[in-house]
Amino acid sequence: MISAFIHKFSSPKSFVQITKTLYPLFIFTGLSMLIIGWTWGLLFAPPDAVQGNSYRIIFLHVPAVIFAELIYFFMALCALMHIVWRVKLAAYLIKSAAPIGAMITFIGLFSGSIWGIPTWGTWWQWDARITSTLILFIMYLGILTLHGSFSNLEKSDRLMSILVVIGVVNIPIIKKSVDWWSTLHQPASISVSGGSSIDPSMLYPLIISIIGLGFTLISLGILSSRSYILSREKNKKWVLKHV
Amino acid sequence: MFDIAFDNVNEIIDMNGHGIYVWSVYSIAISIIIVSFIVAKNRIKGVKRKIKIKNAPS
Repeated sequence: MISAFIHKFSSPKSFVQITKTLYPLFIFTGLSMLIIGWTWGLLFAPPDAVQGNSYRIIFLHVPAVIFAELIYFFMALCALMHIVWRVKLAAYLIKSAAPIGAMITFIGLFSGSIWGIPTWGTWWQWDARITSTLILFIMYLGILTLHGSFSNLEKSDRLMSILVVIGVVNIPIIKKSVDWWSTLHQPASISVSGGSSIDPSMLYPLIISIIGLGFTLISLGILSSRSYILSREKNKKWVLKHV
Repeated sequence: MFDIAFDNVNEIIDMNGHGIYVWSVYSIAISIIIVSFIVAKNRIKGVKRKIKIKNAPS
């Protein structure tokens, strides 16, 4: 029954049609909230008592690393769907999300490194949080390389899904690294379960930036998956009609 | 909460010496995101063009 439900609502055709309708709403929401969040954070939020103005990188860095992990988690769910129920769309979504995950992980690492110069006095430290995030970046590149290494695309999809599921073990390590080991990186300042060590004047623009970047990345994912689905399904009748 | 944290444009750019870090990070990240959107849009156009050419009546 679950299998029938999943197959009914996971056809590439329905996905392309539904996301085409949703794209304008997502991109508008994403960009508007990013502009509001970043303008608020960069110009209106007060400077930090210890870090001064360098802390303003937080409005980019924190959303970027949150989505670096969330995109991988999403890919892992898709990988399970592909392995267990052989859902084609799930494999297409993994392949489309991986470059976006790599891009946003790079932005997270890069922004953290630049933030480290005035704050820690160094741009890189082999501590647990930074190293596990670098491993996540390498995982994204590995997934893309693996998928591109085979001419048999069905085989590529399957191997890629297996690698994604194996790599998901890194996500809790990234999350808990600041609690398990004594690291240079500070512990989490905000938590989903409540409790935040940030003043509301800094927290609100941060939350808006997180939501804004989320919608922007979903919009990018829609575009990326649309082109990949069309190229993979190019011989299907619905694609010819769509084009 | 809604008072601007700086007195003039020079302060906004300089951010007490931290402007170079803050603005460079945001400009590079925004550029990467914009380029990603352009690449994704162009890919869709490219795929559609290929499909049209392949299925064009001879």
